[in-house]
Amino acid sequence: MMMEDHVVFIVDDDERIREALGELLESHNMRAITFSSAGDYVHADKPNLPACLILDVELPDINGLDLQRQIAEGEHPPIVFITGHGDIPSSVRAIKDGAVDFLTKPFSDADLMTAVEAAIAQDRRARSARADLGDLRGRYLGLTPREREVFPLVVSGLLNKQAAAKLGISEVTLQLHRRNVMQKMEAASLADLVRIAERLEIPITHSRKSGGT
Amino acid sequence: MMVASNSPDDDSDAVRAMKILESMPGYGWSADPTGRFTYVSPNALAFLGQAQEDLGTIEDDEFGWRSVVHPDDYGRVAARWRHCLRTGDPYDTEHRLRGDDGVYRWFRNSGMASRDSNGRIVQWYGTTIDIEDQKRAEAGLRDRERELSQLVDMVPVHIRRLTPEGEPVFFNKRLIDFFGLNLADFDKSNGSRLATVIQTLVHPEDAEKLLETVRRSVVTGEPYSRKYRMRRADGAYRWVDGRAEPVRDESGAVVQWFAISIDVDDEVRAEEALLARERELSQLVDMVPSHVWRLTPEGEPIFFNKRMVDFIGLDVADLAKPGMSRLDALLETVHPEDAAGYGEELRGSLATGEDFAMRYRLRRADGVYHWMSSRAAPVRGHDGRIDQWYGLCHDIDDQVKVEDALRRSEGQLRRLVDSNVIGIVIWDLDGRLIDANDAFLRMIQYDREDLQAGIRWFDMTPPEWQEVHARDEAEELARTGVMQPREKEYFRKDGSRVPVLIGAACFEGQSTQGVAYILDLTERKRAEAALRDRERELARLVDTVPVQLWCVSPGGDPAYINKTMMDYIGLKLEDFDADGGLPSAIQTIVHPDDRANLLRGLTHSFETGAPFELKFRNRRWDGEYRWTEGHADPLRDESGRIIRWYGANVDIHDHVVAQEALLERERFLWQLVETLPAMIDCSAPDGEPIYRSQQLREFLGYQLEELDSVGKSRLTGTLDAGVHPDDVLGVKESYAHSLATGEPYARRHRLRRFDGEYRWVETRAAPMRDSAGAIVQWNVICLDIDAEVQTQEALRLSQDRLSRASQAASLAELSASIAHEVNQPLAAIVANSHACHRWLSSTPPNLERVKLIVERIIRDANSAADVVSRIRALFKQSTDSRSSAAVAGVVAEARDLLAEEASRRGVRIEVAVEAGLPLVVLDRTQIQQVLVNLMRNGMEAMDGTANEKILRIQASQNAEGIRIEVSDRGHGLNNPESVFEPFVTTKPNGMGMGLAISRSIVESHGGHLWAESNEPQGSKLIFILPTETKAVA
Repeated sequence: MMMEDHVVFIVDDDERIREALGELLESHNMRAITFSSAGDYVHADKPNLPACLILDVELPDINGLDLQRQIAEGEHPPIVFITGHGDIPSSVRAIKDGAVDFLTKPFSDADLMTAVEAAIAQDRRARSARADLGDLRGRYLGLTPREREVFPLVVSGLLNKQAAAKLGISEVTLQLHRRNVMQKMEAASLADLVRIAERLEIPITHSRKSGGT
Repeated sequence: MMVASNSPDDDSDAVRAMKILESMPGYGWSADPTGRFTYVSPNALAFLGQAQEDLGTIEDDEFGWRSVVHPDDYGRVAARWRHCLRTGDPYDTEHRLRGDDGVYRWFRNSGMASRDSNGRIVQWYGTTIDIEDQKRAEAGLRDRERELSQLVDMVPVHIRRLTPEGEPVFFNKRLIDFFGLNLADFDKSNGSRLATVIQTLVHPEDAEKLLETVRRSVVTGEPYSRKYRMRRADGAYRWVDGRAEPVRDESGAVVQWFAISIDVDDEVRAEEALLARERELSQLVDMVPSHVWRLTPEGEPIFFNKRMVDFIGLDVADLAKPGMSRLDALLETVHPEDAAGYGEELRGSLATGEDFAMRYRLRRADGVYHWMSSRAAPVRGHDGRIDQWYGLCHDIDDQVKVEDALRRSEGQLRRLVDSNVIGIVIWDLDGRLIDANDAFLRMIQYDREDLQAGIRWFDMTPPEWQEVHARDEAEELARTGVMQPREKEYFRKDGSRVPVLIGAACFEGQSTQGVAYILDLTERKRAEAALRDRERELARLVDTVPVQLWCVSPGGDPAYINKTMMDYIGLKLEDFDADGGLPSAIQTIVHPDDRANLLRGLTHSFETGAPFELKFRNRRWDGEYRWTEGHADPLRDESGRIIRWYGANVDIHDHVVAQEALLERERFLWQLVETLPAMIDCSAPDGEPIYRSQQLREFLGYQLEELDSVGKSRLTGTLDAGVHPDDVLGVKESYAHSLATGEPYARRHRLRRFDGEYRWVETRAAPMRDSAGAIVQWNVICLDIDAEVQTQEALRLSQDRLSRASQAASLAELSASIAHEVNQPLAAIVANSHACHRWLSSTPPNLERVKLIVERIIRDANSAADVVSRIRALFKQSTDSRSSAAVAGVVAEARDLLAEEASRRGVRIEVAVEAGLPLVVLDRTQIQQVLVNLMRNGMEAMDGTANEKILRIQASQNAEGIRIEVSDRGHGLNNPESVFEPFVTTKPNGMGMGLAISRSIVESHGGHLWAESNEPQGSKLIFILPTETKAVA
């Protein structure tokens, strides 16, 4: 049975390698999709699953390392490089740019599978994190404009009195808003709310000391 | 006194008679019918102192008594006597006889003829009586009568005598002469002579009264005196003063009337004239357009003439107002502003007797004040006292106003004169310049001293103008008082001439002085001359320019054609039908097929004012229709109205024909270019494409114009869009080089076809230059050589692969190649093996997959083995392919193989092969591999050095054979011998095989290969090929 919750992309111009790696991954219950060039990979419709990209350095249309740089902007699966004759500068560069591993052909089954599994796990975490942030953003959008004004004042550490004065509202009203913010953002504590604010990159604009701007 | 006739036969009676006769106080005589005296009384003979015989002779028809008759009387007396003798008429005559005392006395001589019964004259008898005293008395009386008559006739008075009844009975001579008629002439009528005379001779207006007067006087006897007009003989009536006085007898009865009339015509007329003049004067005084008045010495007005009365509406009598003098009353009619001065002045004059003269405003009856000029002068009596003042005063209102106007205009004129805008001269017809302003003096370059010294008008006038002056100008001035402006010339002081425009006018009222104004025409003449020159130039230009020029009216009627056009069409303007206008002109000279079009075009232009331009065929003088290009533009006046059309025709026939030929050729060429099985492109000197043939457009799949929107130049756009990315840099460099240097361009590269496929093309470009050598265009041809290149490429690839496989030159890269070639199948085998293992380990084992995988493993393993065997083949020795070859050729080939790589690496390859080297038997390919290997090593050794990268190959001969040396300037070798060991390498990617293999190849040729250090730096690899082949075991 094949695990359907992840996928491995293989990009290599040598058909023998594509066949062999595909076979190997399948024998490890992994779904593999192969591409003969970087272009094919970039333009293909790919399943939106935790994935790993096995990328040959020497490709007919583009160097694998260059492709890594090009796709670095977007969300892409972690890369495991394979090469016929690896050299040290290339491998250093690849790892620096975030590759999971740099394997020189021929490589062992274990090395490959370790790298692939690590990559998939990494991708799964990244996806989860992206999903969490999305949740937070959704919650933030659920705040009323007044609550969005209250949010940064609270996480900046202002006393309720100070924050209320800032907004020209009563302390009671402020406390009401503050409670709503905590509930809507699903923050268990003020510390939790501060972390959320950090992730949402909400600037801390006020200081309790200055009490002002 | 009478002689009685006696009968001759009565003697006694005769004697008695004789006695009676002789006793008479007279003389008696008788004579025969012939006139001869038969008897003369003795007292007669005694008186005469003559004998009868002497007296009675007749000799020569002259009578004997001739001697005693006064000579003055003889002729008459003798003639009468002869007459009587012949006719028998009685003889009676008076004549003078000379007495014996010599004194002549008057006698009356009478004779009668005595006839017989037959009537025949028988005897004459006569008497001669002394009538001297009688004669004397008569003469005295006659003298007195004559005197009286003369008196009556000659006194300058007409005298008449009338009967008591008034009938005229006598007119004196003067009167007769005056009337030209005698009294007798009036007797025909039956009525009274008086009435007839008066009615005939007295002026009809006066006749009746005169007649009445005369009749009354006749009745009353009173004298009368009256003036009336009498008709003179010539018909003129003249005034006379007629008077009559009666003559009475003792009884007091009137016996006759004497009437006289004196011609008083002159007096009467003078009187009448006087009267008339008096009347006229009176009228004059009243009617002169002036006021005439008289004042007493004290100034009291006593007379105003009618005009004055009419003007002021007052007569002298009206001035009599209570409490004021008439003078004061008169002063009231004077303008208040002038009244005081007037009164003062007038009283001053009255006091001093000096003439009075003044201007003032006088109130007219209607209340309007008029300017008056008044003068008054005293009239003095014999004693010098002033009798009265006469004054004259006339209306000068208009004059004053005119004067004002005149003063103003005079002021203007003065200013004009002073302004020296134009020359102004006051002249005298005698030739003197009386005055002149500065402008004129400047004109003729005289100064004011000259003027004062006297400048003669004539001296300034050139001879040819003198005559004109004398003839025309003076005449015109004399006749009209004005000389119309005319152009002439004057001498300047220095003798040069100045052209002027002069006009003149006499001063009013005189013809010898006047004013002239003179304009200096020098500038204008110069301008005119320039204009004329220009006009002439233009005319010459217009006529000589080799363009047909024409001009038509706004309506299109031909107005002018220049000489060129006349010569061209062989016609003059007059040859056109003047009434036919434009259509006719077109009909005459334009090709039938073009007429309608031309007429339409011209008409359109004439109607809209749009410039005209058309090509049409014109008939030349020789009848040939030739293509002509016509242009016309309208000339407009200031208001924008078109006043003329100017056109030019140019014969463009040759041009058109040439153009047609050219067009034909162009069309042909175009077709050629478009259909040529090649892609053609034309570019501007800067490389910008300006044309692409259909083939090229179709190949590229876009139009040239579509590049313009990209924001790049067309060339860059084309290259970027079309040339293969790998080739584009080189292509651009080549293009840039060619464009910069003008060198032809030729290059092969891949070009993207419309469907996206890159195809190999060969592009060649060459510059097209003008006569001066400047590039005007680049012509580019682009051939699709893809199929050819593909073939070549395939060939080359296979060759390359072969040569790579066989060339030791690729040994340095072999390590990477071997690694790749071997690693791929090995990696696949490894992966497959793992997969195989997995499938075999799974439960149940997936044998089908295993089987498939194992087949792949076998395949991949064989593939790896192939690689290894190919490598082994590289080292396989072969002597079969050896032949004699020139080292120089082999070296050259090796250099060529690496030329591109050398230039990429920035290495200069120097080759020095000794001349006359002997041939060497060798495997050409293997020796080439050795050379390529050594050279590539050398180039790689110089990578990263700062020195000039020179790779030097030398070939020379020595005792052992041919020595070939490859030297570089790289880092040099630490251990020259070790490099020849297999798998020893100084390069990161090298596998250390190259030099080992190279040595083995050289040794297989019986030579040897070694390394040395190069001086000053780098290394040298040297091998020697023996010229004599030594077989190697």
